[in-house]
Amino acid sequence: MKRFTCYLAICLAAVQAQAQKIEFNRDIRPILSDKCFACHGPDAKNAKSEYRLDTFDHATTAVDGVTGIVPGKLKDSEVHWRIHSDDASEVMPPPESKRSLNPAEIALLDRWIEQGAEYQKHWSFVPVPAEVPVPKVASDWVKNGIDAFVLTKLQEKGFSPSPETSREKWLRRVTFDLTGLPPTPTELDAFLADSNPDAYEKVVDRLLASEASAERLTAEWLDVARYSDSYGFQVDGDRFVWPWRDWVIRAFRENLPYDDFITWQLAGDLLPDATRDQKLATAFNRLHPQNVEGGSVPEEFRVEYVADRVHTYGTAFLGLTMECSRCHDHKYDPITAKDYYSLSAFFANIDEAGLYSYFTPAVPTPTLWLPDPKQEEELARISAEVAALEKDLASRITSAKSDYETWLAAQTTPATLPAPIAAHDFDELVGGGFPNLVAKGAAAKTNANNVLVAGRRGQAVKLTGDDAVTLGVGNFSRSDPFSVSLWMQTPDRKARAVVLSRSKAWTDAASRGYELLIEKGKLNAALVHYEPGNALRVQTKNEFPVGSWHHVALTYDGSSRAAGLRLYVDGEEAPIEIVRDKLTREITGGGSDTIVIGERMRDSGFKNGLVDDFRVYDRNLSGAAVKSLASDAATFTPDPHYFLTEHDAASRELRGRLLEKRKEQSALVEKIPEIMVMAELEGKARETHLLERGSYLTPAEVVAPATPAFLPSMPADAPKDRLGLAQWTVSAENPLPARVTVNRYWQRLFLNGLVATAEDFGSQGRLPTHPELLDWLARDFVNHGWDLRHLLKTIVLSATYRQSSNVASGELATIDPENTLLYRYPAPRLTAEMLRDNALAVSGLLVNQVGGPSVKPYDIEFAFKPSSPDKGPGLYRRSVYTYMRQTAPSPLMTTLNASKRDVCQVKIERTDSPLQGLVMLNAPQFAEAARVLAAKLVAQHGDDDAALVKDAFRRLTSRLPDDEERMVLSSLLAEQQTHFESRPGDAKALLAAGGSAPSQTTQPARVAAAATLVSTLLNFDESLSKR
Amino acid sequence: MMTGVHFPSLSRREALTRFGGGLGSIALASLMGRAAAAEGAPAAHLTARPKAKRIIYLFQSGGPSQLDLFDYKPRLSAEQGKELPEEVRMGQRLTGMSGNQASLPLVGSPFQFAQHGKSGQWFSELLPYTSMIADDITVVKSMFTEAINHGPGVTMMQTGAQIGGRPSIGSWLSYGLGSMNENLPAFVVLVTKGMKGQPLVSRLWGSGFLPGEHDGVRFNPDKDAVLYLNNPPGLDTTSRRRMLDRLEELHRIQLAKSGDSVLETRIAQYEMGFRMQSSIPEVTDFADEPDSTYQLYGEDARTPGTYAANCLMARRLAERGVQFIQLYHQDWDHHGGLPGGIKSKCRETDQASAALVTDLKQRGLLEDTLVIWGGEFGRTNYCQGKFNAANFGRDHHPRCFSMWMAGGGIKAGHSHGLTDDYGYNVAAGGVHVHDFHATILHLLGIDHERLTFQYQGRHFRLTDVHGHLVKEILA
Repeated sequence: MKRFTCYLAICLAAVQAQAQKIEFNRDIRPILSDKCFACHGPDAKNAKSEYRLDTFDHATTAVDGVTGIVPGKLKDSEVHWRIHSDDASEVMPPPESKRSLNPAEIALLDRWIEQGAEYQKHWSFVPVPAEVPVPKVASDWVKNGIDAFVLTKLQEKGFSPSPETSREKWLRRVTFDLTGLPPTPTELDAFLADSNPDAYEKVVDRLLASEASAERLTAEWLDVARYSDSYGFQVDGDRFVWPWRDWVIRAFRENLPYDDFITWQLAGDLLPDATRDQKLATAFNRLHPQNVEGGSVPEEFRVEYVADRVHTYGTAFLGLTMECSRCHDHKYDPITAKDYYSLSAFFANIDEAGLYSYFTPAVPTPTLWLPDPKQEEELARISAEVAALEKDLASRITSAKSDYETWLAAQTTPATLPAPIAAHDFDELVGGGFPNLVAKGAAAKTNANNVLVAGRRGQAVKLTGDDAVTLGVGNFSRSDPFSVSLWMQTPDRKARAVVLSRSKAWTDAASRGYELLIEKGKLNAALVHYEPGNALRVQTKNEFPVGSWHHVALTYDGSSRAAGLRLYVDGEEAPIEIVRDKLTREITGGGSDTIVIGERMRDSGFKNGLVDDFRVYDRNLSGAAVKSLASDAATFTPDPHYFLTEHDAASRELRGRLLEKRKEQSALVEKIPEIMVMAELEGKARETHLLERGSYLTPAEVVAPATPAFLPSMPADAPKDRLGLAQWTVSAENPLPARVTVNRYWQRLFLNGLVATAEDFGSQGRLPTHPELLDWLARDFVNHGWDLRHLLKTIVLSATYRQSSNVASGELATIDPENTLLYRYPAPRLTAEMLRDNALAVSGLLVNQVGGPSVKPYDIEFAFKPSSPDKGPGLYRRSVYTYMRQTAPSPLMTTLNASKRDVCQVKIERTDSPLQGLVMLNAPQFAEAARVLAAKLVAQHGDDDAALVKDAFRRLTSRLPDDEERMVLSSLLAEQQTHFESRPGDAKALLAAGGSAPSQTTQPARVAAAATLVSTLLNFDESLSKR
Repeated sequence: MMTGVHFPSLSRREALTRFGGGLGSIALASLMGRAAAAEGAPAAHLTARPKAKRIIYLFQSGGPSQLDLFDYKPRLSAEQGKELPEEVRMGQRLTGMSGNQASLPLVGSPFQFAQHGKSGQWFSELLPYTSMIADDITVVKSMFTEAINHGPGVTMMQTGAQIGGRPSIGSWLSYGLGSMNENLPAFVVLVTKGMKGQPLVSRLWGSGFLPGEHDGVRFNPDKDAVLYLNNPPGLDTTSRRRMLDRLEELHRIQLAKSGDSVLETRIAQYEMGFRMQSSIPEVTDFADEPDSTYQLYGEDARTPGTYAANCLMARRLAERGVQFIQLYHQDWDHHGGLPGGIKSKCRETDQASAALVTDLKQRGLLEDTLVIWGGEFGRTNYCQGKFNAANFGRDHHPRCFSMWMAGGGIKAGHSHGLTDDYGYNVAAGGVHVHDFHATILHLLGIDHERLTFQYQGRHFRLTDVHGHLVKEILA
């Protein structure tokens, strides 16, 4: 039967094709794209054939003396012969492609060649016309432009629209569509009573202005933005991103123009004098999954993050399937791999790590601080105090010069070195430890693999690179001045070797702590909160000599500035370059709280390195002191720094106060939440490479940031950064974003978009059912300043939206089962969010609080990775606030088709499954709502069955039941009441469903029966759907 | 119904309308995702006569050490403690866990290996029960993958891609074949309860971009086997039955008024749900299992949620026509303490895995049930961390690992593929994950190149653009 229907449809198409002129975009491109482009399309490099069919020039150019298409000359066209061939070695598409053309498609291609093989630019790449004329139709059905387009098309086919739906149904639709909630009985009454001509418009304005509307629009955007409260991948720890969600709510509540909505999210940080909200908006590009699995290669995942941004940008704003160009040029659309990586360069230029930190809760850089007003004020005050003290100290240092000279002249004996807090000469190993020369100081622990060998003086420790020498001291904060002095010898030029660190691990702790490394042969020292974006790092300009002993010292002044971190080699300050100079948060924490020599978790150790005479100081040693250490002199001539830090009372007092104040500042900063955002890398931009086959292991040519070449180019003077990209995205020349946006909102209201493939406006996507309407909406949207409320209002006030949802019988039903003609309202089932929120709203359980941390309703307990549900209000918040864990999302929501949020999703999914029925009938969220509403109904209507049924029905469907429905429901109520009267225990149990106090009633059997009535109605199609 | 293949963006509901006729049965079929073949429509992906009707996949998460179970390498013991030769490693990438180690010392298996059965397959002493089914299974010793970490590795094995978002094998089968039992899901997932080890994620049995009805349904060993399967407290079956009867009446009234066939689907949806409320407890209640069952599977099988109980559950589900039964057992990730760790993993799994094959065989189900045992990658021939012959660890190793398969068109008593003497690289007969997927689809009568779904403009496949049938292991 089905085979027959399909065949009929094919024949019909063929007949129609003969009747009218072939149009490339409508008739031919879909065939070529799907069946031919894989080998004869834009991806010339990987195509099996030199012959291309994607442009007229290519298609009509001879290859090896054979011409594929000779316009108007079927018999001269090789394509004609190949698609008709019976020979398996000749026929196109070839059998091994597992694609084939049906007779209708072959007929279309023939006729197209006969008619001249005209090509057209792909429809969505053509600019939106400056003016889109509305067809003139004489009909009072038409309420606005939308209807003129819809009616014209219906009339062309000889049909008319469906009758207008009832006021109740329209109000129900529009209330759900704009707010995600049902209309209240009061709202219903008011609307039904309002006979003014602007009654509909007033409703729409009221709804659009509501907080609920902002929440509803946000819920939709969270799917596009792949929002979740956890990092995803395998470990999937919690992450702090809900302030971004609250920004989205604010943006919709303030009706931020949609071009700004796009711009802020792409590049808010780059706007002049960017506000906190503008920066916060850029968290959009950090919401992709992030990895922490131990042993992963950071670059592999950094590349993945950038790729996700490109894909999300492509899908959300351009409606293009960028991912297809990641490994090779796009097979269907004119997007090259170079376009892909050039676009990715915009999104790559941030100071981020490929893995987030397992051992510390640090937020992956770059970040934005979100202090509350009190913290903001306090921070400003303390920072000013720190700055003032620093200034005072600086002036004391300048003014102390003569005091120093006076003091020095008065000294009769040379200065001695300050006492270290730990000192190990590695001359003997006693009971698994290297003794500490500091009295009562802890020995440095090691296992037997690190051995003693002849040292610079006496013995030295020879390190395996896999075994630690663990000291008992070294847990310095970023405010503490400290120094480390050692003798070391490296046997070879190390690409990377950890000489010492106070740090639990490398990538697994984002290097939290401090460290001295050899990197590419050079000494490299750092203090790190989160590698790489929150750290101080310096590196010597010269390579460290191989094969000989040298003295090395690291000194730090507690300033959190790179200038305060110095490296000395053989007593001389080493020339350095500053690699990073942005340390704003604490370096302690993560575990491994003391200095470890020679090894670090999952890092390259100091293999076969030698270390001798290791000393740790709780002060910022002076150059003179370091020099004396390097020359083995116990005494030395003091320098000004020594005088100031050890003897000058005024500067010592200032230093003491500064230390206190910096610690106070640091303690405050620790409490200030921060969120991942986008921020350009300081200094030189990150190089982005084209990656062969998409792999991070095979970087090829370097590419500069650029927009796809086949689309209108960026203005020459536009900044080549995300701001330039954002401006280009919303520019008048860009043919895609306005179309993509209006289509997505159309889809939200009508279930299907005018372009059914909301995620793909390319060659493989579906054609718009009403291309002129799409363009008219896009033009109108842009002309109204990208005003989303205007767009939504236009749609919901149209006659098209007001049609009845009844399915046509007869010819129309056969011809248009998909309702592509828009002859009726499609009656989509409510979204997961709406289904749950509806139950909360009708029962009065809904807790209407806007924003804040995500909450955990009952079903989180049954998630694959369960956690305890909230108690109280958290159970009754709107679903937009439901805690979303990527690897174990709310099972209730996903059963009801909520997006899984691991990738950008713009297409709505609605399926019907038996498991949904079980959830809707049995989940405590719904059972509780049913019994709570039931108790209210019984309290209000007592024993009046008719009134109770009528009220319940109206609350759940927004209309009154007809006689038939009333009879069914009255029977239900009566039989259930009888049932529960004989089972008082059951009634009592049912009235305790959920976490709120059991319903108090003198008629438990009646309330229980009413609860089954409500539960039945919650599962009734007219409650589940927008009819 | 394979509407997705031919009319990719057609919703099920619209497909129903389009194809008309016999609404009740089609509504039902649509809810079950029943294959197009059943409706007489072309189903180009169904090519060969299926050898298997169902799959039980015993996934061993974490990466079991092939070198201590199946792939006997005496040379490693002979060269114990020596450095992994660079000409064997060939500069290939290692994980960040051992990749920065100063030394990579080889380590042999401390367990005894012996040949078993007529086929003479090698097994270590850790697998006494699996050794006994040597002549029923094919051991593939030349599996390989690209992933070197668990997340990407498990995702690759289960979905054919390292990054999430793609449908799992079971979802592809549900989509391609539909369900054979209208009272049970087509794709059931059983995870051993209370296991530690590398975390699993629900995306592994997710439908990715396929319609959500092809998601795997996880059976929970606790109170509700399936999310909210049971009525709320106080609501008994009588009361529920009457509610559903009245609901159907409302839907029939609505159907008459709106003419919308989705109402038929609604009615079927609630009826199926109601039937599942009895059919699922029937399958999860082991009361009808005799003592001999527990002798076969082990006493563990009496405890819900254990691996053994899940193996038994898998057999019960297979008997009732569930097409894809996916088990997961975690904690094979032995970076350290391997000798002790792997012993306890084998104790938990060996008997029940073998029992499942034996049980299916006794019941005549093995011939059309494909049983698969394996993890996401293998483990290194060198020691991770400090070398200690008695208590060492092995890091992740993607370049070769072992799996076994049985029944459903697979050779019995066969060993496929070879690794080099160091057990580091595949020496012959390499089977990539895509090849493995192509082969299991073939066994179910599906051409892996034709089972496609159009998403984002592309015709996606489980095997991406790769995959070769491994003919050598077909019976």
